[in-house]
Amino acid sequence: MKRKDQIIQLMSEMASYLLDEDPMRLVISLHQEEDGLHLAVIDDNDHSDEEIAELERKLNSRKRPELAAYYGAMTGHDQLGSARLDLLGWSIKHADVEKMNPGLKIDLWLGGDRFDSRQFTLPGKKPASD
Amino acid sequence: MVSMGPERDFPRSHGFLIIILIVFLTAMIIVGFSVDGFHAFSGFLRIQTHPARLLNDYIEIAGIGGALLNAASVGFIGLAFCAASGIPLSGPTWAAVLTMTGFGLFGKTPLNILPIILGVYIAARTIGKKMKDYLIIALFGTALGPLVGAISWELGFSLPAALLFGVLGGIITGFFLPSIAVAMLHLHQGYNLYNMGLSCGFFGLFAAAVIRGFGGTLGGESVWYSRSHPVLIFMIPVMGFVFIFIALLSGGKKSFSDLKRIFSSSGRLPSDFVDGASPEGALLNIGLIGILGSAYIWIVGGDFNGPLIGGLLTIMGFGAFGTHLKNSWPVVAGVVLAALATGNALNAPGPILAAIFCTTLAPLAGEFGIIAGIIAGIIHFLMVMQTGSWHGGMNLYNNGFAGGLTAAIFVSVIQWYRTNKAEK
Repeated sequence: MKRKDQIIQLMSEMASYLLDEDPMRLVISLHQEEDGLHLAVIDDNDHSDEEIAELERKLNSRKRPELAAYYGAMTGHDQLGSARLDLLGWSIKHADVEKMNPGLKIDLWLGGDRFDSRQFTLPGKKPASD
Repeated sequence: MVSMGPERDFPRSHGFLIIILIVFLTAMIIVGFSVDGFHAFSGFLRIQTHPARLLNDYIEIAGIGGALLNAASVGFIGLAFCAASGIPLSGPTWAAVLTMTGFGLFGKTPLNILPIILGVYIAARTIGKKMKDYLIIALFGTALGPLVGAISWELGFSLPAALLFGVLGGIITGFFLPSIAVAMLHLHQGYNLYNMGLSCGFFGLFAAAVIRGFGGTLGGESVWYSRSHPVLIFMIPVMGFVFIFIALLSGGKKSFSDLKRIFSSSGRLPSDFVDGASPEGALLNIGLIGILGSAYIWIVGGDFNGPLIGGLLTIMGFGAFGTHLKNSWPVVAGVVLAALATGNALNAPGPILAAIFCTTLAPLAGEFGIIAGIIAGIIHFLMVMQTGSWHGGMNLYNNGFAGGLTAAIFVSVIQWYRTNKAEK
């Protein structure tokens, strides 16, 4: 699968999941590296601890190549019904889910690990000045 | 595509499920030899060169022993490919192996499935993927085994030409399956559990057109075993009770809470109950499905033969991958209503097979409710009674084909309505 297609699928599935609760703010941020990429997704809705635990579980599920290459094609594409983050979990390296006040922040890593989530940038690059 | 990172170790469920499957398949071979002695082996050999298109009941053709031997061989091939690919057993692989075993009683043989698996492997390597990426497609894609058989044994070729063209036909078929499978998945968005049934049916339309275009005929009588034998009557119920016993022994009361969790799932593809709940919860679900499925056949006075035992094994396979009692009963009810309304006997081959295999549409009831499930069952029945002739019976998952078409029309209408209805 082309990287562009994969990014679109990931963004679409995450957006589908979070937009179900109709947030007033939703930010999806992409940082690409040579050997991977990072997606940060932020919203402003309230999420229960149970939901966050379930999110972590699905996004960090066991790798399933036999499912990812076949059923993974539905990620971010076939949206009739509830969002299915387990499809996404099979094809990413790992994910962090952090509760914010309000809302939550989800970090998805594919391939590279260089992204510094706290600084919200790749090390070695100057953050954009205001 | 960027790397997804290292795969993790095999889960606990792998060892649990693989032991159960090896014991089950070995038991089939032992029972086969005990029923028919060494005639089982000659029956097994007879099946290999027999036409396999729907409906050819291998129990009628080769006896109980030969049919069980063939089914177990097909199941072991599926299991061997899982092991060779390094994929642990879980919901989808369990479903694939049990489905292959079931259809080894009426259509699949080692000889007619291997070229298709090879074709899928070549497709995977062509685009730089590994066999494990397309393992599920390869295993379920063996539904087109009868196409290999039809080329080899029904078109009048000499033996060397029959083998050559059969193998070539199977490889070409397998090569096309991954691309078709993904496209078909989008058509019903995961609401038809037997997606390879739709994919193989779609391909089968073209294959049947080619064969018929060159003067071949795809007619023939159905072969249906209608006597009764205790081994056939008790095989699935005993298996069901054993599975329930193992689930309760291993998981205790937790098996019931896991079963409850399974019942809360819509079952939409891909719903792995082994991973999502637990192997014990899945096994409890599988056992219940087997027992209640057998009870249905017994109540309507159906024959316990190759196609029906194969059907029960298939739905027990999908008891780990999308099917459960709560999402299945509305669709079955729809099929029963449609069969009665159209004057069909519930124990006739078409209606009884539809009542078992219609559970391919269980996710529609799981997601959209009981009424949607019943309507889906009615439409499915009307479709499946026609679709078999379209592909000349070469697609063994004919219910998966009809179910896919039914799911596609449901999904199209619901999506159109939800997307376009003005918000208040």
